[in-house]
Amino acid sequence: MRMPLKTRLYYGVGRHLPFLKIRPPEVDRDAVLILRPGRNSSITWEQQTTGETILTIPLENSSNRGRINKFMSRWFRTPDERRVELDEVGAFVWELCDGNLTVEGIVQRASKKYKMNRREAEVSVTMFLQMLHERKFIGLYKKVQKKSQGDRVV
Amino acid sequence: MAAALQEPSKTDSHKDGTNAEKTVVGWQGMRCELPPEWNVTGFSMDRESGYLRVDSPGNGTVTVQIRWTNAAKPAQKQPSLYTMFAPHFRKLFRQPEPVVPETDLKGNLEKVLKDTAKLAKKAKTTFESSIKAEKIEGENDERISINFAWSGAGKGQGKIWRCKTCNRVVVAQVVGMGKDQNSISAIAAQLFATLKDHSEDGYDLWGLYDLKLDIPEDFRLESQKLLSGHLHLAFIRQAERIVFDRWGLANMTRKKFTLPEWFQNSAVTSLKKLQKSEAILSSGHEAVTYSGKLSLIARAQTLKESRSLRRFPTRYAGGVWECTETNKIFSLQVCHSKNTQGLWEDVANRCFCHSAAETG
Repeated sequence: MRMPLKTRLYYGVGRHLPFLKIRPPEVDRDAVLILRPGRNSSITWEQQTTGETILTIPLENSSNRGRINKFMSRWFRTPDERRVELDEVGAFVWELCDGNLTVEGIVQRASKKYKMNRREAEVSVTMFLQMLHERKFIGLYKKVQKKSQGDRVV
Repeated sequence: MAAALQEPSKTDSHKDGTNAEKTVVGWQGMRCELPPEWNVTGFSMDRESGYLRVDSPGNGTVTVQIRWTNAAKPAQKQPSLYTMFAPHFRKLFRQPEPVVPETDLKGNLEKVLKDTAKLAKKAKTTFESSIKAEKIEGENDERISINFAWSGAGKGQGKIWRCKTCNRVVVAQVVGMGKDQNSISAIAAQLFATLKDHSEDGYDLWGLYDLKLDIPEDFRLESQKLLSGHLHLAFIRQAERIVFDRWGLANMTRKKFTLPEWFQNSAVTSLKKLQKSEAILSSGHEAVTYSGKLSLIARAQTLKESRSLRRFPTRYAGGVWECTETNKIFSLQVCHSKNTQGLWEDVANRCFCHSAAETG
């Protein structure tokens, strides 16, 4: 998961100067497995006959860009959207990222469908979800126990 | 290469599929059975003195740790001219090897417990341990063992023993948190009942991530790659080599490649001048096989890599097959000398890719 620059610098210092004992917090495996991945609503996707899925990601709205950015994008004719192709397994996981299933649930389904060892499936799926999350294609939600508070974005 | 391969050995207990509900772990001659979905998470490459760690599924708070050393070999000292040449002179003048003093099991165990106590001290917890009396066990009374248990920064139950057959000193323990006391006892009982430190049929079991592969025990692990979806193990015996690969998601791979096309990319040598044929394995799978003489370039490459002329490989045998039951592609390649014909068939028939339950 992408950290803010300030935090990254802070932990970078800790890595190079170990005597300061600055370490990033350890990620609890159990805490990750109960997260619910949900797709970015601005992304559209289309399934190909070959099994692959093509994601269409709209690039930042031109009205939000700065003057120089606007000028440069007009000058270089940058596209308004980006396309990303997911393979069959990626497409399967993408379809399951509807905010209802937990990471654990997705791992179990992928493991069953592609006859993978549980650990192999967990490593592959969590790495893939982490990559999607870094690119802001999905958000990871944690279901809060109290009904009144509803779901909370992590 | 023969079209139909030989029948599997009847002594192979893991081939009948009865162990499907257990995880069979095998590494460097050590083998044990653990509950389902336990996985190897740490290991060493060395056979003489090594380490294996197997974690429980889920949280992974309970782990099995196995350490072994070769008691027949004296402790490694600084290399000197004497240590380099003495074994050769002994051989030349037919002098007996110096007697290695018998391993002090209690001393070894105290060292293990001392290290564990240090961890407990770091965690600021009290450390307690209990050691049981020495006993002789094994089918042929080949083991002298001591059971032990400790509690400190967690809990552990273990056993240390020396095996007269393979001259290994093994420390095996099940470690967990305080709350795991019951499961530690149950797993320790299963582990100590099934843990073996040497093979009985001349083949070492390499078992991890649902793979069970028997390799002749004089082959040593040369390299490994344990990736998600790809498992690679390479073994060496003097200049002879066995290279094993397993890929996941076979159904997706087969949409783009045929088995020979896929195999060509991973083959250790060019397959152009080799004889292509088909073989039925003992697992029931049809394998595409290649065999023939190694090219001069391949031989030069082997010489460069192995730096040994003993058992110099002049022949190649390789094959690839798909296991639809587990959705995996397997490939096995052997570079062997003229005297070890049939090595590919032998190993391929001892590769257990799926259980009877998966077939059903």
